[in-house]
Amino acid sequence: MNKTDYLYLDHAATSPMREVAFDAYKLAEQNGFANSSGGHALSRNAKNMLEDARDFVASCFGAAPSEITFTSSGTEADNWIIKTPFLNLDSKNKHIITSQIEHEAILGSAEWIADYGVNVDYIPPTKDGVIDIEIFKRKLTSNTDLVSFMFANNETGILQPIHELALATKKVSEEILFHSDVVQAVASEKIDFHKLGIDSAAISGHKIGGPKGIGIMFLSSSFKLPSLLHGGKQELERRAGTVNVTGAVAFAAALKEQQVNLDFDRKRMLEEKNDFEKILNEKLDIFVVGSNVDRLAHISNIQFKGVNSETLMIALDIEGIGVSRGSACASGAQKPSHVLEAMKVDFEDINSHIRFSFGWNTNIGDGRFAAEKVISVVKGLSN
Amino acid sequence: MRILVAMSGGVDSSVVAGLLKSQGHDVIGITMKLWEGPNGEMPETGCCTAADSEDARKVAAKLDIPYYVLDYTSSFSENVIDNFIDMYAKGLTPNPCVECNRSVKFDHFIDQAKKLNCDKVATGHYAKVIQNDDTYELHKADYLDKDQSYVLHMLTADKLPYIEFPLGTISKPEVRQIAASLGLKTAFKKDSQDICFVGKKDYRDFVNKRINISSAGEIVDNNQNVIGEHDGVHAYTIGQRRGIPGGQGEPKYVTKIDVNSNKVFIGSKEDLTTKRFLLDDVSFVNEIESGNLTIQTRYNSLDLPCELNQIKESECEVILNSPTLGVAPGQFGVIYQGTKVIGGGRISSKILESADD
Repeated sequence: MNKTDYLYLDHAATSPMREVAFDAYKLAEQNGFANSSGGHALSRNAKNMLEDARDFVASCFGAAPSEITFTSSGTEADNWIIKTPFLNLDSKNKHIITSQIEHEAILGSAEWIADYGVNVDYIPPTKDGVIDIEIFKRKLTSNTDLVSFMFANNETGILQPIHELALATKKVSEEILFHSDVVQAVASEKIDFHKLGIDSAAISGHKIGGPKGIGIMFLSSSFKLPSLLHGGKQELERRAGTVNVTGAVAFAAALKEQQVNLDFDRKRMLEEKNDFEKILNEKLDIFVVGSNVDRLAHISNIQFKGVNSETLMIALDIEGIGVSRGSACASGAQKPSHVLEAMKVDFEDINSHIRFSFGWNTNIGDGRFAAEKVISVVKGLSN
Repeated sequence: MRILVAMSGGVDSSVVAGLLKSQGHDVIGITMKLWEGPNGEMPETGCCTAADSEDARKVAAKLDIPYYVLDYTSSFSENVIDNFIDMYAKGLTPNPCVECNRSVKFDHFIDQAKKLNCDKVATGHYAKVIQNDDTYELHKADYLDKDQSYVLHMLTADKLPYIEFPLGTISKPEVRQIAASLGLKTAFKKDSQDICFVGKKDYRDFVNKRINISSAGEIVDNNQNVIGEHDGVHAYTIGQRRGIPGGQGEPKYVTKIDVNSNKVFIGSKEDLTTKRFLLDDVSFVNEIESGNLTIQTRYNSLDLPCELNQIKESECEVILNSPTLGVAPGQFGVIYQGTKVIGGGRISSKILESADD
C-alpha cells in the first residue's frame, strides 16, 4: 500500500507531528541539548528554551507557568494526580470519585490505589454518555478527597459538564481536588483551566501534533502534591529526571500553530465529520453515538448494525483507511469498550462500533471520501 | 491470490506467511486470541502468549504484510475449556487441541477469510491437501515425524478447497532454514508443547480451580479390593503408572475410571489391552472406506491395522488386528488408508466394558 493513498482517521490515538514541531525539535536539540539544570552557558540556553516553552504553554491554558510541570505523557500526569495524594497517608477513610467512562490511565490508577484501601466511586453515565451529575452529587461528601472527570470522552467525543461538576464539588468543599483529563479535548477545544474551575489537568503532546514522550501536568497553586518520580530536584523539585527540553520546545511549537488555527481547524473537522455522518446515515443502517448531545468536533463513534467491528476495521485497513474501535491494547485484540458498556449499549451491538477521528491535517473532502469507502466496504461485508 | 494466514508467533506459521508472500500472494496475517486471564491479560506460558503475538507482529512487519489479532476467547471458552473440564469430570482424557480445531479455529478462520475476500486460508500445520480430479483429500505430511494430520482429521472435504498447508512437503530443519534466510526472528524459536491455557503448570490445578471434583475416593484392583485412596478422579488417566500405590512387584496401571462410584481401577499391563472399541462424534473427510485401514489412537502414535464398522451416522466400531495398550477414552481415533485421512472420532468410554470380549 502506498502510504500517501492511505487516509488516516485515528487522530484520537495519535496525530502526525507538525512541520513546525520537527523544526523546533531539531533546533532545540542542536542549541539546547545540555542539561537544563546544569550551571554553565549551554545549560542556561536549554533552561531559557524550557522556560519559554513553559510560559507559552501556561498562557494557552490560562495558567501560571509555575502551575505547569512537564511530564512524559498524559498518562503520567493522571497517575501522579490520582495516586500521590494517598501514598504517604493512612489510606482508610480516603475517598475518590471518578466515572466509569474515564481513560484507562485514570481507571488503572484508581484501581491500583483502591487496593491500598482508598474508596473509589465510579459514577455511571446516562444512556447519552454524559456523566450523571445527580448520582455524583449524592456520592459527594465534604470528606471526599479527589474528584476526577474527563473533559470529553476519548472514544465517543461526548463532552462532559465539567464546569457544573467542578462547581458542585467546590460547593461542598473547596479542599477537594478536582482533576480533569483533557488529553482528548485539547485537540479541538479551547480550554482555560481556571475559568473552567478545575484544579488539575493532564495534557499529552502528541494528540495535537507535537512529539510523543512529552505531556504536562497542570496543578493549581492552591494545591501541593508529593512527587511521583524521586531523584534529582528538577521541575521545582516536583519531578526527578533530566527534563525533556527538546520535547517541551517542540510541543510548545506545535501548540502555537494549533492554537492559532484552532477556530479554523475546528470548523473544518466539524464539517468533514458532519458530511461523513450525513452520507453514512443516508446509505447505511447506522447509529451515531451521542448525536443528540454535545461532542468534540473531531470524533465520530458509529454503530454499524449487524457488522462485526473487528472485521470492518481490518477490511477498512486493507482498503486504505486507518481507524480503531477505541483504545489500543497490548495484545492488539480488543475487548468490548468499557465506555459503551457503561452507556448500556446492547450486548449484540457492542462489537459493532468504530471510532473515526479527524485531525489537524484532515483535508476538505476527506469526510465524503471516507464515507463512500466505508459504504462500499460495509456493503461488501454484508454480501 | 489473497490468503489469510493464521500466525501463532512460532516458526512454522511465520514461514508459511513468508513463503506465500514470496510466491507473490496478497497475504494477511492474523493471530487468534483464544484464551486470556481473568483481567483480559494474555497467558504467560504455553502458546498464544503476549510474547507470541508480539513475535507474530514483528514477523508480519518484517514481511510487510497486514497483521491483526482477533478475539475468539468466548468461543474457545465455551467449546474447548468447558469441554476440557467436563471430560476430566467424567474420568476421560481430553484432547483440547483437536477440540479447538474441530469447533473453534477452522470455522472462524474460514468464515473470517470469506468476509475479507480471501481466496484461501493457510496454517503452519504439517499435512497435505491433495486434489484428485474433483475431490479434495487430506493426507499425512511427507515428513512423518512432524505429521499433524491427526489433529486435522475433522476437516471435511467441503472445507479443504479453502485450505493450504504449505509445510506438507517440507521438513522441520528446512523450515528453520527458510525462516533464517528470510531474516525472521522466529527461526530458532523453540516449539511450544504445552496446552495453551494451562501452560507449564499442572493441568490438575487448572481443573481443580474450575470445579470441585476433588472428592477423595478409593483405588481398587480388578476384584474391587481397596488398594489405596485418591484425591479426585481427574488426576488420573487411563494407562497412567505414576502415583499408583504398590510399587513392588509387577507394575500397576490405571485401567478404568468410574466417576459414578468415584473409583480408580488399577491392574496389570494386560488389563490395559484393547482390541475393540467405539468412536463417537465421527466425521469423514470424504466418505467411509474399507480395506487397508489403520488407526492412530493418540497424536503421532503408531498406525495400527484395523477394520471399521459404521454403527450409526456418527458412531463406528473399530476392531484392531491385534490388541494394543492404553486406548484412552476421550482421545481421538483417526483412521487412515495409507497416508490418506479417512476420518476420525472420539474414543468412547464404552470400550472398557467391551474390551474383554
